Amino acid sequence: MSILPFPSFLDDVKEKGFKKAIFEGIDDSVERLTAGMNVQDVREALRGDTATRRPNPRLTPHADGFWLHMRPSYFNRDVTGMYPSFRLGWLSSYFVFFETITGILLMLWYTPSPEIAYGDMLTILSNVPLGQLMRDMHRLGAEFMVAVVALHMMRTWITGSYKKPRQFTWFTGLLLLVITGFLSFSGYLLPWDQLSLWAVTIGASMAEATPVVGDQVNLLLRGAPELGANGLLRFYLLHVLALPALLFVFFGVHYYKVIIHGYSLPPQKENIGEDTAKRVPLDKRVYFIPDILTNELMWLGATTFIITVLCIWFYHAPLENHADPQVTPLGTTAPWYFLWIQGALKLGDKFIWGVAFPSVALGGLAMLPYLDVTPSRRFAHRRFMLTIAMLLVSATTILSYMGLAKFAVKTSAETEIVHELTFEPAHSKVGIGRTIPFDQMIAGAYSTAQFHGHEGLSAADIITEFNGETAANGQFQQMVDELKFQKLSANQAPLRFRTIPEMEAPVLLRVMEEFNHHLEEAPTELPNVWGALVITDNQRGLKRLDWIVSWDTVVIEGGDVKLDDDGNPLFVYATEAVAILDDEGNPVLDDNGEPLTQEQQVLDAEGNPVPARRIFSDHLFIHEASAYFD
Amino acid sequence: MIKSVESRILTGIVMFVAIMILVGWVAINEEARMQAFVYQHTGRSIERGAELYASLCAECHGEQGYGALLRAPGLNNPHFFGYDPVGEQTAAIANANRTLVRLSDDSNDLFEELTNAANPPSDERQNQIQAEMEAIQAQIDDQRSIIAQAIAVRQAILGSLSTAVEKGLFPLWDTITDSDRTAFNEIEVFFNNNGARLAQVGWAGDLRGYVVTTLIHGRPGSLNIWPNSNGGMVAWSQLAGGALRQDQIEDLATYILNWDKGDNWTLEDFLAVEQYGKPLSDGSIPGVPQPDPAGDNPEMILARWAEEEIVGSAGNGAVLYDTKFGCTSCHRDGASAPDTIGTWTRVLNERLTQPQFAGYTGERYLIESIVLPAVYAVDSYSSGVMPADFGTRQMTDQQLADVVAFLKTQE
Repeated sequence: MSILPFPSFLDDVKEKGFKKAIFEGIDDSVERLTAGMNVQDVREALRGDTATRRPNPRLTPHADGFWLHMRPSYFNRDVTGMYPSFRLGWLSSYFVFFETITGILLMLWYTPSPEIAYGDMLTILSNVPLGQLMRDMHRLGAEFMVAVVALHMMRTWITGSYKKPRQFTWFTGLLLLVITGFLSFSGYLLPWDQLSLWAVTIGASMAEATPVVGDQVNLLLRGAPELGANGLLRFYLLHVLALPALLFVFFGVHYYKVIIHGYSLPPQKENIGEDTAKRVPLDKRVYFIPDILTNELMWLGATTFIITVLCIWFYHAPLENHADPQVTPLGTTAPWYFLWIQGALKLGDKFIWGVAFPSVALGGLAMLPYLDVTPSRRFAHRRFMLTIAMLLVSATTILSYMGLAKFAVKTSAETEIVHELTFEPAHSKVGIGRTIPFDQMIAGAYSTAQFHGHEGLSAADIITEFNGETAANGQFQQMVDELKFQKLSANQAPLRFRTIPEMEAPVLLRVMEEFNHHLEEAPTELPNVWGALVITDNQRGLKRLDWIVSWDTVVIEGGDVKLDDDGNPLFVYATEAVAILDDEGNPVLDDNGEPLTQEQQVLDAEGNPVPARRIFSDHLFIHEASAYFD
Repeated sequence: MIKSVESRILTGIVMFVAIMILVGWVAINEEARMQAFVYQHTGRSIERGAELYASLCAECHGEQGYGALLRAPGLNNPHFFGYDPVGEQTAAIANANRTLVRLSDDSNDLFEELTNAANPPSDERQNQIQAEMEAIQAQIDDQRSIIAQAIAVRQAILGSLSTAVEKGLFPLWDTITDSDRTAFNEIEVFFNNNGARLAQVGWAGDLRGYVVTTLIHGRPGSLNIWPNSNGGMVAWSQLAGGALRQDQIEDLATYILNWDKGDNWTLEDFLAVEQYGKPLSDGSIPGVPQPDPAGDNPEMILARWAEEEIVGSAGNGAVLYDTKFGCTSCHRDGASAPDTIGTWTRVLNERLTQPQFAGYTGERYLIESIVLPAVYAVDSYSSGVMPADFGTRQMTDQQLADVVAFLKTQE
């Protein structure tokens, strides 16, 4: 008779005794949870023993349970090693889940609004425990995921695994590659810093070239002619809702197809034209439980460990200044995985290279299994397709290189050089001018002329001579005027150059040498150039660094220096207003009695025209506390 | 694939434990990391604020925040940050006064006990009370002398501040003074009652709030106080139709507040702020006191040079000639005024040979030409073009000597 009005654990205790009832209860629960394996079965599996019970209980979780219903119960030993898969498909799946988890954690702290988003990034970094680690992991995972998915595609191509019957698997894989690219790209915008705004602006503007619908697509994507509140919200929704939904759907289709057709074997393991993936001989079977399961869990740990280590010591997600549509940073590029399109765009027409070319390329990839219908998967028989694969890799690499800002984008040398020295941190790189330790920024005016001297002259002598020279020819005054124009306080304007204190400020010296080195690399664009760095104290703990380039102006046409027949640059000569004199040498007056003037070239003492002196300056402020990454 | 299940399990467990240790280690250090980030980010914020300040604010508030003539107040300003130059003395006086109250209470109690008719103290106790009262009296004298000393120091400090008041450090000065004020007392009133800028404008929030709000919405111009303020300060925030985002407003405020020296403001800082609320009653603009000008009497000038051994420097003269006094803008190429080049030669060979300059030295001729330009103009150039106030207002003896020395090199 039961104590309770229904059969219960207490009845078991009464009937079998406490200990036995407990053990049987646990056994029963484990069997339910694993959909068929009791404690004994689990222990045997984890010890690596063969199953003692028949029928084999290790197969029931696949047959009866939900979680493993799509996983095969055994694999061919030939596909369980590094080759031929390199675990790239597994890694892709890993990153899908990794990104989902870290992404959801980040969503807790994020609001998709231009007024708030950047502040949220700062909050994540300044006020959320483990926030920085989460953000780094999500960002690094995203970069890895794009790379892994692309490599997965190349591997499939090289081993010919796209061939019949796996044509459609390849196609869904390609869709996943495109979705992955767009997922990563849409996430790029969310921090709402300069890096994201301009990378996405460039990326999104590529769509503009599409005929007929280009403008509309762009408008739909951005929600306004310029990226703003609507654009951010739309990218956010794409990133967290639409694209993940698509990704999970096609992930399901893709994996289902992989299982239906079986993991393709290494090409040399089967006869030409045969597909034996689903016919695994008994002696080649490796069972999911326990071998593949423990293997995958181990890799789960190992991969996560590697990413954790990378994010703690080697990688931090970039965060530049707040997005500003008014300020276009020099050298903006699309994200690295879209660089190939940006490179292609430099070849010519926006439509042909920005829209038609990528479409044809992707279309060609999609049709690949239907075009290449040769039966053999052996490398020796597929020289043509392997050549195409290598050409694709090479072309993408070259185009990506061409996509870099330094390729075929004309910026005047002085702007480029000063930018190179002072650019704000991005991708763990920073202009060398910002790396001078605070206590080495010793107030004063320094010039690269210090390095122009010849043997036997001390730096002090060179600078003294240079001071005299620039005072006499007005170049120093020109610099001071420029500095004042740039709102350097008049009482802080330098009076003369001084030598770089190399004992107290070795880094400053090195930076000035680098500055000089850059200037010397542009002898035709910047003839007779000198550079200067004026360091002033601005506030407590705050220095102002003014970078100046002074040179003789040359004629520039279409971004290139115009040369004469001897290969020397053509100068622009200085002119001045000179009073027009009549025959008797008296000034000619206009109706108001003012002397009429005309522009006339300035001549030096020997009667040669004097080149017009140009000056360029840019300044930055450095606070002793500010650090960008560490 | 690692062959045995055990080694895979072991590797996996090691990995997961390692991850947990790593993440735990990161978590332990998070507090410090976040603090460091806030510190570093404040630095970046100041940098960006400095950039914005230089391009947008420096024009009116001065490159170094000292304000601009008649236009906008200084922000790098002790008064703005609530510094009270006599705070220490005021506190010392208040403290001594409290002590005095306590001491006189004690003294009164003893006196009452001594004179209590109902219950007169014993002789022994009377002596004791008298001794105690004398001790208290000594302490009272000490406190009084402390007060007297503090008052003297305070008076001295306030006295030194009257130049700051003249320089317009306190734009509302006139509104709080009456006709028969004594400067010291009124400055005292100013600090005690009006204190810092925030109290003056009746702002109940903190300084950051004041700065941020002003940046967002701007403020009306006060032509009484800042005659050149051109209708006041515009609204800078996008919220109010301006150009700046909120984060930029915050950056600017961080930069401006970084001028605060806290407890380290000095009287020198008070006096360094170059801002002028309004012209003085005579219409002039107060400024750094200028050394006496040379005057317009060449003979006296020469006599003084001899007496005070003033010798000109051609190098300094060249700079003054080109920049400060702008002589070169006319005296070049001989178009509108005699060319600088060859001055000395012409003076010696052409001018001094003329009868009216008989007895002149070259120096005397040059001095007269500079301080009294109207006396003589070289033929073919019009007279009355050259400013006549170089001697009376612009040049000191030394500067005049420098310019003359420079001209003597122009052969």
